[in-house]
Amino acid sequence: MSRFLVTLAVLLWTRSALAESAAEIVAASDQVRNPDQPFRVALSIVEYLGGQAHDAVGMIVHSKLDPGTRQYRNLVAYTAPPRDAGKLVLFDASKMWFYDPASKASIRISAQQRLIGQASNGDVLTVNLAHDYAPKLLGEETIQDADHQQRNTWHLDLAAATSDAVYTRLEAWIEMRTHRPVKAKFYSDSGRLLKLAFYRAYQEQLGGVRPTELIIVDAVDTHLVTRVTWSGFRAEDVRDEWFQREYLPRFSE
Amino acid sequence: MWWLLAALAAVPGDDVDLIPRAVTAAQATAPQAEKGASFRARWFVENALSASTEPRDVPVPYPPSLASRWQNRASLDASLSWRPANPLVLTLSGRLNLFAQDGVSFVSPDTIRANLREAYATWQPISGFSVEAGRINVREGVALGFNPTDFFKTRTLVDQSSLDPSIVRQNRLGTVMVRAQAIGAGVSVSAAVAPKLASPPPLTESNPIGIDPHLGAMNGAWRAEAVLGFEVADLSPQLLGYLEEGRSKIGLDVSRPIGGAVVAYAEWAGGPEKSLAARAADSGKNTGTLPQNAPIVPPDSGATSFRNDVAAGFSWAIAATLTLNAEYHFHQGGFARADWSYGFSHPADARQLWYVRGYANDQQEPMSRHQLFARVAWPRFLSRDFEVDGFAFVGLIDGSVLSQLSFSDYLSKDWTLAAFISGNFGAPRSERGSFPQAATLTLQITRYF
Repeated sequence: MSRFLVTLAVLLWTRSALAESAAEIVAASDQVRNPDQPFRVALSIVEYLGGQAHDAVGMIVHSKLDPGTRQYRNLVAYTAPPRDAGKLVLFDASKMWFYDPASKASIRISAQQRLIGQASNGDVLTVNLAHDYAPKLLGEETIQDADHQQRNTWHLDLAAATSDAVYTRLEAWIEMRTHRPVKAKFYSDSGRLLKLAFYRAYQEQLGGVRPTELIIVDAVDTHLVTRVTWSGFRAEDVRDEWFQREYLPRFSE
Repeated sequence: MWWLLAALAAVPGDDVDLIPRAVTAAQATAPQAEKGASFRARWFVENALSASTEPRDVPVPYPPSLASRWQNRASLDASLSWRPANPLVLTLSGRLNLFAQDGVSFVSPDTIRANLREAYATWQPISGFSVEAGRINVREGVALGFNPTDFFKTRTLVDQSSLDPSIVRQNRLGTVMVRAQAIGAGVSVSAAVAPKLASPPPLTESNPIGIDPHLGAMNGAWRAEAVLGFEVADLSPQLLGYLEEGRSKIGLDVSRPIGGAVVAYAEWAGGPEKSLAARAADSGKNTGTLPQNAPIVPPDSGATSFRNDVAAGFSWAIAATLTLNAEYHFHQGGFARADWSYGFSHPADARQLWYVRGYANDQQEPMSRHQLFARVAWPRFLSRDFEVDGFAFVGLIDGSVLSQLSFSDYLSKDWTLAAFISGNFGAPRSERGSFPQAATLTLQITRYF
């Protein structure tokens, strides 16, 4: 009996030593989603109502990691529809500016305005969740991904740890073997479920296998589904001056 | 036992069943192919038909041109950008308008109007430093309804359907200038010099063939501006200095988020200048619109003193899509209550009073010293393709209101249908109530390419 207990203790200690922490899991998942160099990527956001494609928005996101904060700075340039082409949104921690080339006006926007729209700017930005959230490992689960394939995942709860966090709380399911994000749930300040998101279409992009599609389901009206498609990941010399409002009138793709 | 095994084998799939098969089965929508970086064009065609109410009785006689019952504007608008070689970018932007208006012959100097907004070259020899030369629309300020620090805004507005300050500047003419800008880590510096190229024209001018660069309006005097932007305490302040004979100023604008839903902002500009009425009188005399012996109306010493302008307010993201802006505007050189009382008590001075009003509009200044501004933007109002916006200027001296409600229907990615309903409300002897037309309706359709 004592030998059994010793063996069990050794096995448990080994498992503990090898098990990843919640923070390590989230950080590894960030590396799956985000290239480790400044880059640009094209996005297509299509809204579906009852399964029918409705609206479509195109944009290009330029991202660069701030070495001091370890969080990404993002410049979003709208490319479609034509009425919005050329508009820019700058995200640099608490400095968020919207620029309209038609009026040449730069307007400072609030964090709440990031969440306007089914797929908000906050959903498509390059972010390090490990920086903005305090994760807690809830357990291991086998779930279905967006293609109805079974995935063995870690189930984590992430609470906002900084004022820059887009959501107050979210849940994440991250595949155990690959650290690929599979599913996420996003919650409002009041704890109400806002949306569910599914990552799919993993492809080799800019030095890693990354999700190239995100399916977002509105939790209040489940007939509203948004499909975000990333393509054309490309390393880019993203310059620091791009992230200052005075540069926005001169920025061009 | 079989039921336990079945339960264990079942994998939660409820969430993923929410995804319609059509979504995952659809071909991945390739984002718009990246266009060659050398040339970009954005253009649209637009038609706007406006109709106004019958002129009402007002205490001060008004110019006949204010009583137009209807107007139709058809426009072709284009913005082009070309990079012929890496450090050089050429920008061209403008609009061609075709007008038809009540009381004006269709074939007249005002039938066709071409607005050249911008035509300039940008040279960026090294990262963070650029030089620009040509006609450039330089826009400063952080407020919506009034921008004291936007020193190059004067005499730039042309041909608009909407009175919304957020929209009215979309067809704003640039100023011919040379401008240099350096942007570093958290700081930026720019300097601009605009030469005098022509004498200032009257407020309303029309070229015999309708194609007029309006050089005298934007370049009627030597002007210079320097701007320093930096980061401190999350305020993103900008310090501005402006030089122009009789209107030199310094300015400051700041903005800061408060919590997750509010952004507070403020602008201030101050400098030695004459009152609005005195400057309008000078302008009228210099351009031949008013006789040389015309008095200042309302009476004013014409003295120069240090005067301040302020715009302070906040934006508030109230709900999922609703944004409210509220601002207070202070224009020290503007009309006080006594000035309005004088104007309404002296109808013989009506012509000059209306000239002052036109001058203030041309300078993009408030008429009165104190006013409030509020604006609501509500995209996805009742429908994902429908937007409602509204604004109001409220005079704090007499309580009169200029307001507008606009409805935009995004028919498709290429077509937008919009309607603007604007109104002037107030007592007959008030700033807004004294306008002859109480309300105007504009229907506008736009096709983007």
